[in-house]
Amino acid sequence: MKVLDELDRKTYKNVWTISECTGGAVHPVSYELLGAARKLSRERGCEVWTVALGHGIGGNLESLFACGADKIIAVDDERLRAFNDELECHILERLVKKYRPEIVLCAATSRGRALVPRLAGKIRTGLTADCTGLEIDTENGDLLQTRPAFGGNIMATIRSGEYRPQMATVRPRVMPMPEPEVGRKGEIIRETVRPEDALNVKEILGTIERHEATVNLSDARIIVAGGRAMKGPEGFKLLEAFANRIGGAVGASRAAVDNGWIAYPHQIGQTGATVQTDVYIACGISGQIQHLIGMQSCKTIIAIDIDDTTPMMKLADIAVKGDLFAIIPAVMKELDERA
Amino acid sequence: MAFTKGAPPGFHVEIIPPKQDSLKLEEDLELFASKFERVMDSGFTASITDNAMGLLAFQGHECIEELGLRPRPDQVLIHLNTFHTKRNLDEILESCEKLGITSILAISGDGSPRLPKLKPADVEAEGTASVTSVELTRYIRKHYPSFEVGIAFNPYEPEEHEFDKLNRKLDAGASFVITQPIIEQNAVVDRLLAEYPDLPVTVEAWMSKKLFLLSDVVGYPIPEDAAFDPIGTLEALRGLYPGCGFYLSLLGFKTQYPVIEEMAAERRERA
Amino acid sequence: MKIVVCVKQVPATTDAKIDPETKRIIREGTKSVLNPFDLYALEEAIRIREKAGGEVSVLSMGPESAKNVLTEALSMGADRAFLLCGREFAGSDTWATSYALSRAIEAIGGVDLIFCGKQAVDGDTAQVGPGIAAQLDLMQAANVSKVEKISPDAVTVSRMTENGSDLLRLKLPALLTVLKDINEPRVPTLKNARKARRAEITVWGPGDIGADPDLIGLNASPTRVVKTEPPAVRNTVTVKIGGAAPEAAKALVGELTGRGLL
Repeated sequence: MKVLDELDRKTYKNVWTISECTGGAVHPVSYELLGAARKLSRERGCEVWTVALGHGIGGNLESLFACGADKIIAVDDERLRAFNDELECHILERLVKKYRPEIVLCAATSRGRALVPRLAGKIRTGLTADCTGLEIDTENGDLLQTRPAFGGNIMATIRSGEYRPQMATVRPRVMPMPEPEVGRKGEIIRETVRPEDALNVKEILGTIERHEATVNLSDARIIVAGGRAMKGPEGFKLLEAFANRIGGAVGASRAAVDNGWIAYPHQIGQTGATVQTDVYIACGISGQIQHLIGMQSCKTIIAIDIDDTTPMMKLADIAVKGDLFAIIPAVMKELDERA
Repeated sequence: MAFTKGAPPGFHVEIIPPKQDSLKLEEDLELFASKFERVMDSGFTASITDNAMGLLAFQGHECIEELGLRPRPDQVLIHLNTFHTKRNLDEILESCEKLGITSILAISGDGSPRLPKLKPADVEAEGTASVTSVELTRYIRKHYPSFEVGIAFNPYEPEEHEFDKLNRKLDAGASFVITQPIIEQNAVVDRLLAEYPDLPVTVEAWMSKKLFLLSDVVGYPIPEDAAFDPIGTLEALRGLYPGCGFYLSLLGFKTQYPVIEEMAAERRERA
Repeated sequence: MKIVVCVKQVPATTDAKIDPETKRIIREGTKSVLNPFDLYALEEAIRIREKAGGEVSVLSMGPESAKNVLTEALSMGADRAFLLCGREFAGSDTWATSYALSRAIEAIGGVDLIFCGKQAVDGDTAQVGPGIAAQLDLMQAANVSKVEKISPDAVTVSRMTENGSDLLRLKLPALLTVLKDINEPRVPTLKNARKARRAEITVWGPGDIGADPDLIGLNASPTRVVKTEPPAVRNTVTVKIGGAAPEAAKALVGELTGRGLL
């Protein structure tokens, strides 16, 4: 698909999302995508379609309708149980050419980030990664895709005007979860895996589900991080209890890791992990720039410290002055009382 | 031995090996060699950093080997931090042994995403969450007992915490101390000297005129235009701490070095 | 085993300060470095060569100054280095970049395995690896955490997913993008670094790789940046909470629930 003229472009319509049903269950980001697609479709006066590739996905289709899909292209096949880049790409390439969507949205999960660049490469169209904003240009109807660039220093708005479909990925929890409309109905289009789709695809020898708890700071919604003022490994035990209580992960400043209080994978900052959580609770972290680099993009920053003159306390959205070892247990107690 | 109590406390001259990303590596190596040899000739200690500030540089031992330099006994101090693979750590220590180097400065050090952090199991410290200079010191003393191990002392950290850490480092086998830079009499250093009379202490003196660069170390901002006389300050510190060695960071080799040589010569004469 | 590792020169992020207005970090400085993720790709390629024999080539597209990151790759142990350079390539988005790099891989010829880092730290898109696989119609695995087995015609790898990992067998030639978990990249020795600085880097223009002039550079790029603006200002009003612990805790929990954060 080379550069398309205006007439050609008009033959592409509807907003598609690629739902994620690997393993049979729907990843919540799929609903968030439908919410975003719904908004765009209203402006374009078109329908929302979603493509559901997987195995044993039948029970999930209603939820996709409830969250905004008008039509679902369902491909239910044993070979789609685990994510096979080539196979899914072959199927999608065929479907895109057949139904000609104007916009295709996909989740920026590990699957989506591998799948759609391959798809965009094959069909020669534009793809914008990790969009935080999606809008329709009122002048020409093109999709305006906004994403952070240069380490979050600027927001860039991107257009792939002359190419169709216009493709974008969105990270989980960036778009709001739509309110499901129970009983909302739509049409299911059944497609199958064709023999040619399955040519020249990798072999999936096995899938191992992870059960052990690993440090996954990048996926956390809340991080409770501790610094020098945690005083020792016992301080981090307290943070762990706090994090467990509120469904968060434990992070640390370099000072805490250097002191041997917690392992290096927990370290946040220039020489550790970079995180972008909804909530970041900095406990006794003074906020040296090297640490701030790793967490500045978190949405809401809470600082708890005895010293309210630190950079972290000044930067925070909510700054709590006081003794950590009194406040954190008091917060947990307060939460228990409210629960 | 330069770090043993009773020996005349001398000057440590910090030498930073060429950076990994140097665009003029051969020139940098020549400069390294000339500084190193000059320090050897002066009878000072060449204190060679290990990826200082987390900036990737070549290792001191490989510069010495590759350039065919000859370290004089007890005149080289190799810094070693906790950002290495185990294999790399052992390589460095083995090479240093072969080169006849007898002193290592064990520090937690500055990380970089480029540098692997030693894992507790690498230094037989499975019980700890993270490898610090304490575990590193213990490992070196156990497996490479020919080295004397020095450690850092930071008078700007919370005092009790720092003394507690010092005790753990000494328990692990450290036998001499180098402080963070001070620019005047320091109560925490005074306490260190009073409470550990047998511990050889080397005081770091700040030899750059840019005093504000110290801000990060001392934890409070120093104005960019703060006037500072490094040589005068060093003289004053030597008067205050006559039993200490002096670690000279950011020393100017053109103008400051000859002054330092004179200072050393004067003392030799007096002795 | 003939291996190509695609690498990128990216801005270093060592200099940074906080903008007092926006409370955001401004990264400064013009220094460039080898994309950190690419080091893992390179290390893995070198390890495979050390075991299975063969040759590792590093390939980049960028300005003349990108030779420095190729020199770094040679210092680590790559055998050959190629740079796609020329104003015709300027302004390429991920599609056009993937196309140009795939042409260069064809020009190198006889390649069994292509390694890329998980993503570049400046763009963060993770698109060029799969993009190259698409252009060359190769099997791909992104987010590889371990190369389990390699034979002359296939590679078996573990791929990390959100829920665990998959064991995959790909026919060669194939493209792999690797995670940091895969290895610990070596730091170049001084001996190798000196040798690398004397090594030659092959510089190719569009003609050398047989690139279609209509498929490279800005004009061939489907995506266009139409606007840039500073990110939203961080809420500059800090809500201050103090007092005794139980009251402070009450106030904090109140704030958090009020904002829908808990």
